[in-house]
Amino acid sequence: MSGSFASFSDFLAMSGYGQYVWPSFLIGFGVVILNAWLAVRSLAAAKRDARRRMEMNP
Amino acid sequence: MATWTWFHRLGSPPHVYAFAERWTKWFGGFAALAMVAALYGGLVLAPADYQQKDAFRMVYIHAPSAWLSLMIYSTMAVAAAVGLIWRMKVAHAAAAACAPIGAWFTVVALATGMLWGKPMWGAYWVWDPRLTFELILLFLYLGYMGLRAGIEDQTKADKASAVLAVVGVVNVPLVKYSVEWWNSLHQTPTVMKMGKPSMDLDMLWPLLLMFVAFSLYFAAVLLTRLRAELLRRERNASWVKETVA
Repeated sequence: MSGSFASFSDFLAMSGYGQYVWPSFLIGFGVVILNAWLAVRSLAAAKRDARRRMEMNP
Repeated sequence: MATWTWFHRLGSPPHVYAFAERWTKWFGGFAALAMVAALYGGLVLAPADYQQKDAFRMVYIHAPSAWLSLMIYSTMAVAAAVGLIWRMKVAHAAAAACAPIGAWFTVVALATGMLWGKPMWGAYWVWDPRLTFELILLFLYLGYMGLRAGIEDQTKADKASAVLAVVGVVNVPLVKYSVEWWNSLHQTPTVMKMGKPSMDLDMLWPLLLMFVAFSLYFAAVLLTRLRAELLRRERNASWVKETVA
């Protein structure tokens, strides 16, 4: 493996700190994805709501 | 006056909506590219730290999240102040759109900080000034959102929550400078300080790129949430009907 690690298992081990490093990235990028999804969902709901109001009283 | 037309456009929901619609995909696209590159640089290419070994790599998620938590709060407080002073609805909508994003990144900063604290300090949590003020930041975000949710009348909710946001901004310098004002377990800044950053360039560029990526990401998410806010607030306006038709 290129970069700072000799092998892929070294990369996963993170010099013994893997149990801290990987969860922190999982939490961080989990929230990155979650936030984007929540925003997109909220916009879709607002659009749906506006359309429904339009159909009810054109 | 011509110089003020941008300010008027900034106060006009359909203009802001159209602007947000146009720019979101650009901010989001570049944010995704920059994140992938910064992750590769930080997790794979950067050399291990001579003291913390590979545990230091948590900086690539922890520091950008912590920084976003403060930057978003400052943005929210400025938007709330503009809303209070000029009675600008778009500004109140922007402040409201900031809060959930900021709260989430405060959670990330706290959680990744705990995961970093355990191997380095021997405990997930210590009542250290910086950690305590960051926790107060989370409560400020939650209080702001709770206050908005609890007041039915939109104008009253805008005003009350804006006052809270503006008053709470004193907590931002407390988080930022706590490591310098008090004896803190938390390490002092490595990058954001005057003069030369005390970090190897191979370690530094992924971090700086991650800061850029997170800022662009925030812009994309904020603009999306702002559009949703504007549609809800302006549901009876003719521009909304034209937009969603």
